[in-house]
Amino acid sequence: MTDEKDDRQPGEAPAAGGGESPAAPATPAPQAVAPAGTPAKPAAPAGPAAKPPAPAAPPAVAPPAAAAPKPSLLTQPVPSVAVDRIKERFADQVVEIAYYAGEATVKLKQDRAEEVWRFLRDEPDLRFDFLSNLTALHWPERPKPFEVVYHLYSLPKRQRINLKVDVGENEQAPTACRVWPTANWHEREVFDLFGIQFHGHPDMTRILMTDEWVGYPLRKDYPLEGKPEDHLQLRQVTTAEHVYTFDKSSIKGFGWKKEVEKTGEGRG
Amino acid sequence: MFRTEEMDINMGPQHPSTHGVLRLKLTLDGEEIVDVRPIIGYLHRGVEKLCEYRTYPMIEPLTDRLDYVAAISENLGYCGAVEKLMGLVVPPRAQYIRVILAELQRIASHLLWLGTHALDLGAMTVYFYTFRERELILDLFEQFCGARLTYNSMRIGGLLEDVPPGWTDRVRHFLTIFPSRQKEYEDLLTVNRIWLGRTRGVGILSPEDAVAMGASGPTLRGSGVDYDVRRAQPYCSYEQFEFDVPTGTNCDTYDRYLVRMEEMRQSCRIIRQALDRLPEGEVRAKVPKYIKPPVGEVYHVVESPRGEQGFYLVSKGGEMPYRVRFRSPSFVNLQALPMMCKGRLIADVVAVIGSIDIVLGDVDR
Repeated sequence: MTDEKDDRQPGEAPAAGGGESPAAPATPAPQAVAPAGTPAKPAAPAGPAAKPPAPAAPPAVAPPAAAAPKPSLLTQPVPSVAVDRIKERFADQVVEIAYYAGEATVKLKQDRAEEVWRFLRDEPDLRFDFLSNLTALHWPERPKPFEVVYHLYSLPKRQRINLKVDVGENEQAPTACRVWPTANWHEREVFDLFGIQFHGHPDMTRILMTDEWVGYPLRKDYPLEGKPEDHLQLRQVTTAEHVYTFDKSSIKGFGWKKEVEKTGEGRG
Repeated sequence: MFRTEEMDINMGPQHPSTHGVLRLKLTLDGEEIVDVRPIIGYLHRGVEKLCEYRTYPMIEPLTDRLDYVAAISENLGYCGAVEKLMGLVVPPRAQYIRVILAELQRIASHLLWLGTHALDLGAMTVYFYTFRERELILDLFEQFCGARLTYNSMRIGGLLEDVPPGWTDRVRHFLTIFPSRQKEYEDLLTVNRIWLGRTRGVGILSPEDAVAMGASGPTLRGSGVDYDVRRAQPYCSYEQFEFDVPTGTNCDTYDRYLVRMEEMRQSCRIIRQALDRLPEGEVRAKVPKYIKPPVGEVYHVVESPRGEQGFYLVSKGGEMPYRVRFRSPSFVNLQALPMMCKGRLIADVVAVIGSIDIVLGDVDR
């Protein structure tokens, strides 16, 4: 499945193939946390009845009057003060804005990122004082293969916004520690699992894996069962023979599916 | 001529009061703590990597193993995230049952916390009392889904099955006996002089620091910041229930204790309302046989007993997620530990670790 569609374009309506979004909640409420916003609905089964999810293997002709790619309710833009303010103040820093399921995601350029963060944190009508989550994504096929993702929340205003910054293979990302101290461990984890260095971070060390670990496990080219040479290296360090017995046949990605069909047994 | 020098000492990873495999590197000046460095990762299982190789329904059992003390909250958050990704609407009955389960789980988790926290500080009796009531809740869960710890209790789009006959009455029975039992724990602790001495003024975390460090849940509310995801951004029909969000004033271990005690009462209140108004109908939405969400990404947040539990899912349109990230409250709250311990005595570290209520499965993932 990995090769069917490599480059994801968030702005685009979802590919028709997966278009089984049955009658999403009537109102795409701006801050709709869960799609299950309005339980006052008369009898739930009525909801899906409006548009059954339809196994729809050949989805092509399904959307009737609407033009070719039916704009899904999920990708509809939602009003967001934060997005407007960023656009107004840092128009040249915004690379793209994507919406999904009531969430707005703004991709920023790297150079003035810290300024934008401080703006978001300190501006009296935004006050994004709570960095909820920080993580990264790996897109090996892109020229800049990493994206660092920030999920911000504003305690006083009860809003959310997501930010993204592209990071190249040998580039350093700007650290958010000076703006939100909680970013410290999150960034260490991103460094640990993706190998992205953060410029200006006070303590750029591994956090979950051992300090001797080689390689970055959450990269897409890192096999699920690990790399044999890493284990060898670890073995030298720990001098324990039983650290890991590496069985090459276990590297199958998700070849287990075929095994199930053949043998009727679980994963070998 | 006396001379003092700082000493490094290891606490854990095998230490009864670190609640798991947490290692703390303490720098001590006599018995006073100069610095604390938490060292984590001993329970890292690479769940996020595993999730990239599993279909959406297959991930739910993995979420059980993150915060194994409150597995239902994880199930609720994960299923909610996938439902948000697909735009599914969960039937009201399923939502209400989910709320009942999640709140029972909150009580069970707080009971485990209370028992072990008190045990750490030398109060043995409370442990037996809280486990007595936790057992009743686990029995209810067992009747509902057959498991007592890792439940896999929900399904994407609702629940696997409706509750068994008579289950709601048994929940009501639990609610009738629980308040008097809770009073027993409070009689033992709330005005106990030793308890006050061990917890009052210990592990102070100012509201500003708590927000800056990203703390959430009772750790944040104990510092007086009124933030509960159930209230701030309701999910799973929480907006239909009346409940209070307790907050502390002194920002110390004792306040965090009071906040959790009050949360148990509020959970009972929510369960009672949900039972009274439990709607009839289906418990599962119409879900396609193969779950293939459209291209997109969501960040779904729920209030687990430990705080803000976030689920970040990125879909490329296949039947497996492209990336899954669990924002675990324990991991983030633990980061505030050094701040709360500095300048205190070594015995206070035990109290503070107990009061932030970490679960190492959740910290290390």
